Amino acid sequence: MATHAKIAEQLARQLFKLSVVDGSVSAAQVAGVLEYVDKHRPANPVMVLRAYHRLVSAEVARGEAVVEHAGAVSDAMLSAIAATMTRQYGRRVVATARPSAALLAGLRVRVGDDVYESSIAGQLAALAAAV
Amino acid sequence: MSTVLEQIELQIAKLSNKGVKKNTGNIRTIADGVAKIDGLSDVMYNEMVQFPGGAIGIALNLEEDEVGCVILGDIANLKEGDEVTTTGRLLSVPVGKGLLGRTVDALGNPVDGKGPVEAKEFYPVERIAPGVVVRKSVSQALFTGIMAIDSMIPIGRGQRELIIGDRGTGKTTITIDTIINQARINKVGLASGDPKFRPVYSIYVAVGQKNSNIARTVSALEAAGALEFTTIVAAPAADNPANLYIAPYSGAAMGEWYMENDMDALIVYDDLSKHAVAYRQISLILKRPSGREAYPGDVFYLHSRLLERAARLEGKGSLTALPIIETLAGDVSAYISTNVISITDGQIFLETDLFNQGIRPAISVGLSVSRVGSAAQIKATKQVGGKLKGELAQFRELAAFAQFGSDLDAKTKAQLDRGNRIVELFKQPAFSPLPIELQVAVLFAMQKGFFEAVDIKKVVDASVSLKSFFTTRKDPLLAEIRTKAALDKDLEAKLQAACEEWKSSYSA
Repeated sequence: MATHAKIAEQLARQLFKLSVVDGSVSAAQVAGVLEYVDKHRPANPVMVLRAYHRLVSAEVARGEAVVEHAGAVSDAMLSAIAATMTRQYGRRVVATARPSAALLAGLRVRVGDDVYESSIAGQLAALAAAV
Repeated sequence: MSTVLEQIELQIAKLSNKGVKKNTGNIRTIADGVAKIDGLSDVMYNEMVQFPGGAIGIALNLEEDEVGCVILGDIANLKEGDEVTTTGRLLSVPVGKGLLGRTVDALGNPVDGKGPVEAKEFYPVERIAPGVVVRKSVSQALFTGIMAIDSMIPIGRGQRELIIGDRGTGKTTITIDTIINQARINKVGLASGDPKFRPVYSIYVAVGQKNSNIARTVSALEAAGALEFTTIVAAPAADNPANLYIAPYSGAAMGEWYMENDMDALIVYDDLSKHAVAYRQISLILKRPSGREAYPGDVFYLHSRLLERAARLEGKGSLTALPIIETLAGDVSAYISTNVISITDGQIFLETDLFNQGIRPAISVGLSVSRVGSAAQIKATKQVGGKLKGELAQFRELAAFAQFGSDLDAKTKAQLDRGNRIVELFKQPAFSPLPIELQVAVLFAMQKGFFEAVDIKKVVDASVSLKSFFTTRKDPLLAEIRTKAALDKDLEAKLQAACEEWKSSYSA
């Protein structure tokens, strides 16, 4: 079982490498990869595709700044965030807004694994952890 | 006034707008106290990571697209998909004298119900051991209070002496005796007001033991008045394997605080066999390649980096380590045993046969050694017990040969007789360590032949009588031995006279 997982992981990684063009995931390449997998089914297709999905989604998340907000966020602010993150990570980052009342006030920006917290909910959580 | 308020409001506004960057990941799988996490791309090796619900973990495996973490604390509420955050800190534990008299877990949290631990400082659990330049050779004695050890296998401050033997042979008892003896010496030394006196603080790390055994140890130390100089780090068998893995390092951090602050400390790791088993469990779940006996390849490093932290430092204090290893059927050549034997500065081997024969502590003289040797002995002990180890080892060989025949020459018979008396003399009940001055007096009596007229079966009674005679009637003489730490002609004459006085009263 462990060997199957390792082989699937290796294949998924190879497919992922084929899907990236100029540092970002290409929709056309992904479609090509999926077609190839459909035609030439590997030993554990579900395992391979799950691992492939994980790698692609992590890469997509690295190019996207998800801006969670409790109040209003203007387009100008989103553009400013996108520009800052593009500069910070040295790659094109697109900002998308996502309203979240749970934040109470402020913003939370997520780019890949990194989270920039500037919300009241985040501060309350930090306070609760410190007490 | 309004300007002041504006300033404060501005400060509050600044604080509340300050963004915090966190690096996060999500639990992919979780089993047996080990979690595999997606993300955490910025995590460092051995960094603390925060799980939901207050549990913390340590990043041990940094792989291409996942991180393997051991979780310390309650894992019952963790599930797949939970968010995990890096902290940017290495695991640290509270250190200092506030921990004396307390029982804490592997993270330094109190488990004795005596309220919070008063500690102002924290030390990282994993630390690089002191290097060659800052170390000083071991030359100051650490008395265990066990006559057989102090006279034949002396331990010095900063030494690492392994205690090895099968289950139920008295390994833990030796270490508890040593801790009790340190407390007794501390009390005498502190009461004397001697500014040069250096107390020894003890740390007892219980790894993978039953809670009932830990409770028994705590009560034994409390009954002997030794708990006030001791910290107990408890990682019982029912704990998460990660806690068992981390507990000895936590204890070492607590001991290092004394060493760094010009004090002396003693640390007992009870025991490293269970520690290795806990590490093997973690490593196998982390899917690290396994080697001999399914232990991972770095199991030697696991113990070497721990025991190397015990040292005597130039211009600072010392940390003495007494690791314990449990053998199976007396096999000292097993994997973990040989590893730890090669790391330490000697070993005290306890034999089941001797234990069953009633020879307690059941120390095998032939297999036990202290590589520091007489450098860690006071002159008085060397004078009265310098040749004892050789004599006793010879006696054991002779005794083995004597079993085959009855025709023995007079010299051999005398050697056997003397050996039997030494064996009887070294018998000592548990939790009753002997002060070094009393040991010197008893060994002096042995050397001068005061026990030769006593029937072998009554040597134990005679030695009890001699000890009682010295403690009740010759206290000034014992104090003189303690302060001089060497036997000059005057002291020898006084000891001779005292022994003769005892002999006459004992015979009578």
